[in-house]
Amino acid sequence: MNALGDFLGQKTSDGHIALIDARAAAASLHLSLAEVEEQALLLDLMPIRYLRNCLSCAQQLRLLRSRVGIIGCGGLGGSVAELLARLGVGYLRLVDPDVFEEHNLNRQRFATVNTLGQAKVESGRAALLAINPGIRVDAVQAPFAENDIRAVEVVVDGLDSAGRRLQLAEICRRQGSPLVHGAVREWYGQVGIATPENDLLTSLYPLSPKTSDDEPAPKVIAPTVSAISSLQAAETCKLLLGIPSPLTDHWLSCNLLASEYEHIPG
Amino acid sequence: MRLTVKLFAFFRDGRFKEKGREYPEGTKVGDIVDDLGIVREEVGVVMINSRQSSLDAPVAAEDVLAIFPVIGGG
Repeated sequence: MNALGDFLGQKTSDGHIALIDARAAAASLHLSLAEVEEQALLLDLMPIRYLRNCLSCAQQLRLLRSRVGIIGCGGLGGSVAELLARLGVGYLRLVDPDVFEEHNLNRQRFATVNTLGQAKVESGRAALLAINPGIRVDAVQAPFAENDIRAVEVVVDGLDSAGRRLQLAEICRRQGSPLVHGAVREWYGQVGIATPENDLLTSLYPLSPKTSDDEPAPKVIAPTVSAISSLQAAETCKLLLGIPSPLTDHWLSCNLLASEYEHIPG
Repeated sequence: MRLTVKLFAFFRDGRFKEKGREYPEGTKVGDIVDDLGIVREEVGVVMINSRQSSLDAPVAAEDVLAIFPVIGGG
């Protein structure tokens, strides 16, 4: 890495490193962009992409070395994925069996008239790498399985069925992974962190069967999705950086219609 | 006996946000849910005096009962 360190040292100005220079370093030294940017952060050089993130190089490095599974990549999952990519989370695993349909256009981040009929995870992957080529994104076009939860530090709940959420929470609890829960309906949403120590999802879905039954799709508006997914992304970032959150023992009830946001004991 | 019932999200539609209501002794949370015309399967968290409870739990005079719907979309 000395050659890379020398290269980066020559290219930096004010402790920053530009994408064009990081790419040149990667090409000349046969490294990936992620490897170059990781080394830059180790040398306290901030990729310009992260300059306005208000995070230190050490925190940015922590995010770059983090792995997050996003289960369900529709409204919530797609938006969380975009925010985590912009934050600089180094590995994202997108899991969703579906393709974009016309009724997704009102709220799903990567749904456009050009992506209709395409797999949500593949469209998402392409869009995320266009936003941040310095991360890795895996696309799994299938219903989630236990393997999808392995080897990630945090799991994000982007599902749309109570039954499947309970199944996911059970797997996360078994594997000791925190699950950043979010759910939406109309003008209303909720956010919380299910951990092996609490039983958040069983509290939120007390009468829901643990089966993958088809539930009628609830209606929801884009601002609700945006608000809840932003909170999920912030909580994920805090978990990865070791920043404590009240949402590990409370959940947040959000009412965008009445502008009411309440912490409820979990 | 009189208690306070608080409703959240779309449970308020056509009902109320918070109201003092009279119920007979021995009333359970589920009875109040039925009385309000709420489908039990749509109920998520219920709390009595800010503590998590269940549809089978009895309520007492002066209790504050909060009823949240299941929010399931993604």
